[in-house]
Amino acid sequence: MSFRNEPSLELRRAPVRESLTAALRELDARLPLEVSILIGGERGAASGLESTDPGAPERLVANAGSAGADEAAAAVAAAERGFREWSARSASERAEVLRGAAARLRERRLELAALQVRECAKPWAEADGDVCEAIDFLEYYAAEAVELDRGRELLQVPGERNTMRYSPRGVAAVIAPWNFPLAIPCGMTAAALAAGNAAVLKPAEQSPASAGMLVEALHGAGVPPDALALLPGYGEAGAALVRDPRVHVIAFTGSGAVGLEIVRAAAETPEGQHHVKRVVSEMGGKNCVIVDSDADLDDVVPELVHSAFGFAGQKCSAAARTLVHEAVADKLLERLSGAVRVLEVGQAESFSTEVPPVIDREAQERVLRYRELGADHLAASAERVPDQGWFVPPTVVYGLAEDSPVNREEVFGPLLSVTSVRDVDEAMDVVDSLPLALTGGLFSRSPATVERVAARTPVGNLYVNRGITGAMVGRQPFGGNRRSGVGSKAGGPDYLLQFVEPRIVTENTMRHGIPVE
Amino acid sequence: MDADLQSVGRSIHAAFPTRTRNPLRALDQKAMELASQDQELRAALFRFVDVTPACRSLDDLARHLTDYLEEVDERPPPIEAAMRMSGTRAGRAALGAAAAAGVRHMAHRFIVGESPREAIKPIRHLWEHGAAVSLDLLGEATVTAAEADRYAERCMDALETLAAAAPAWPARPVLESDSLGALPRVNLSVKVSALSPLLRPEAPEVGREDAARRMRPLLVRAGELGAHLHIDMESVDTLEATMGLVFELLDETELRDGPSAGVVMQAYLRESPAQLEQVIDWARTTRRTTPLVVRLVKGAYWDHEVVDARQHGWTPPVFEEKRDSDRNFEALTRTLLEAWPHVRPAIASHNLRSVAHAIAVNRELGRQDGDLELQVLRGLGDDLAAALAAQGMRVRIYCPVGDMVAGMAYLVRRLLENTSNESFLGEQQRGVSIDELLAAP
Repeated sequence: MSFRNEPSLELRRAPVRESLTAALRELDARLPLEVSILIGGERGAASGLESTDPGAPERLVANAGSAGADEAAAAVAAAERGFREWSARSASERAEVLRGAAARLRERRLELAALQVRECAKPWAEADGDVCEAIDFLEYYAAEAVELDRGRELLQVPGERNTMRYSPRGVAAVIAPWNFPLAIPCGMTAAALAAGNAAVLKPAEQSPASAGMLVEALHGAGVPPDALALLPGYGEAGAALVRDPRVHVIAFTGSGAVGLEIVRAAAETPEGQHHVKRVVSEMGGKNCVIVDSDADLDDVVPELVHSAFGFAGQKCSAAARTLVHEAVADKLLERLSGAVRVLEVGQAESFSTEVPPVIDREAQERVLRYRELGADHLAASAERVPDQGWFVPPTVVYGLAEDSPVNREEVFGPLLSVTSVRDVDEAMDVVDSLPLALTGGLFSRSPATVERVAARTPVGNLYVNRGITGAMVGRQPFGGNRRSGVGSKAGGPDYLLQFVEPRIVTENTMRHGIPVE
Repeated sequence: MDADLQSVGRSIHAAFPTRTRNPLRALDQKAMELASQDQELRAALFRFVDVTPACRSLDDLARHLTDYLEEVDERPPPIEAAMRMSGTRAGRAALGAAAAAGVRHMAHRFIVGESPREAIKPIRHLWEHGAAVSLDLLGEATVTAAEADRYAERCMDALETLAAAAPAWPARPVLESDSLGALPRVNLSVKVSALSPLLRPEAPEVGREDAARRMRPLLVRAGELGAHLHIDMESVDTLEATMGLVFELLDETELRDGPSAGVVMQAYLRESPAQLEQVIDWARTTRRTTPLVVRLVKGAYWDHEVVDARQHGWTPPVFEEKRDSDRNFEALTRTLLEAWPHVRPAIASHNLRSVAHAIAVNRELGRQDGDLELQVLRGLGDDLAAALAAQGMRVRIYCPVGDMVAGMAYLVRRLLENTSNESFLGEQQRGVSIDELLAAP
């Protein structure tokens, strides 16, 4: 396979930064955008849902339609037709269409990044990374689908021919989050389409415009109108899709509460539904970074700060806890606190911003609530925070009790809890006691310790001596274990298996006692 | 010119001190040779040196060492012996002590002292033997404002300490004047990245302003003390901030008359020819009274630049073929020498060919030898420095100061350089002929 990751923009070059600033100016002149409900190529309403800038809530980024149960039903009906058309195409034809969509995203990458800056307050570097990841998903799954289409080798004995092939399942419902407003909906949709399924995409209510541009690129590249629908809106459309007996696969990324509800609802097999639904559910994390006494703190501090506070901690992979060996705990806390105090909190459009606002008022209130729970253990907090926008000061708390909600629950914001431990084994006990197991980190320069932690950790992605965010397609297939996910790995070699069903054909090749092959 | 280059090169080569006089140095060399022959062993050695300051006990040291050596497939007999020692607590203590002593010994080769005060004696010794120095303060990475303040304080202290000691040094006309005038005896190199925790590649202006705030008093004080302040260049990530800072700060009205200041050009950068033009243009038009010193180096962050670019899918900003860097070094040398007297050129290289080339071009342009400065690194270019001093050239040795913890990143980088087969030093150690050493790149 000749896949390679889309190169990120070299933001350290002034002309590159200027081109992005110009793209943002152009986008601003066009706001608000319109995002219609789109079913079978028919444009529906583009009102009922407003998408605003988290850094300046009075700025309207997009007017979008608000799809409900009726639209969901219509979209699935169209998708059933679309499935027949799309699945009849060869895997390589479908792959070409996806590569064409990748090319379209590539052409618009400055605009797409600018849109994330506005719609999700995602800082430039991460917005650009998101666009690159979306392009990667399209190209990677295109290549993987062609590979998968070859089937698998089986044992063969004289007189019999065994073949194994993979067929698409049918209609896939894709329910996506806002924090990777292009990459995650793109990944789940691209996987469904690459494998030959039809898809109905329900993006998060906070980021309909990014999803709109994704769907535009896919249709523009040749995905049949019926094979892909867009349902901007609130939870109602998503809930209807999950319950619809004509839906075969549900691909979800988001909160644990919703994810587990989907797992339960999808288990129903009402009369007339001739299949068991397959659920791909990627939920949150409570990600711990273990720092051993032999770690290089020069590396630990910046990597940890970036992992915990980049994009205001709103990544499911973000660092929420640090478990540090007692021998270096004071030193780490001092340096980490100093680094957090000088973090630049500001608007996403400024290249100097490290911590942007969180996505909405609800998120701000939630994070501040957790911050209040750790108020007695405050180690450091950023000094200045803008008063306009949904800002939360990046904060480090130290020495909270193990059973504090701050240490157990997913906060999804710029709050890092540091705990001193006797040794790496105690740190691993803490990690083991948590129900979530998405990412983890280890800073150690002992090969034996690295091996010991790698062998024991339950997490889906362990990062050693580096930050714990920024998984790359094809390099770090991404997904959690335990209650963080079902074990599927986005951007990895076995992800497409969630979207297909295996079929085996065994043929007797004997004629009159003679094998004819 | 080439005939001159060849004869200059040969006479410097003939002036190299013989190695056998220093048995400890020979032992050191043996270890380096062993490491450069075996990549796995080299990796184990580096990983060990790197972790040394973070180990809490001799036992901890020995465990790390054997951990790394486990990963070496073919272990030479002395390494096997070390592995056997690690079986018992007493053995580990002995092994840990020996290994720690080894690393300390290696560090001392590259680092001139733990503090400026401690460095005074060796610096004076070098001065008496015909070599000036530029002091460099090693430190942990700057991630907080307090750390940046501390680094600035240490720089200030170094300036004061050196300035107090320097008047007592004997006169060395070659080292303290050129045909443009006097040259400061005190010379300090500073790192922009150590002066601010806010340096980020995508927002150079924030870090630049923060670093400038701490750099300004240093420049003022250096001016009062008649010292030279040299602003080091680091990786491309801080390039824009560093260049911006230099141009902006040095042009400020109150800093125009002093102190003597300098910048660095890295010849491995593809963009370095354009950059040098920019620097020369600035030097021609600035109203500063002392000419800018421009130190030309090959560049010390090659691996970082290549890996960083590869991981991001970028074209590396550096030449990937060594000979392209070497050729560019010679081209930039000429450009730089031609720009005299708007700039004072300093050629920093351990490559005999590059050094001989600079001397020959300078003479071809009809300039005095004394208007060219040659620079080397402590621990790597000592022999070359001695040979150049013996030839009556002005040579400056870049001398790092700091403790083991602070100096580790520097030490690892120098060791990498010293055990690389591609380096001039590697070639020299392998006994490559003088004809090859002086061949055009």
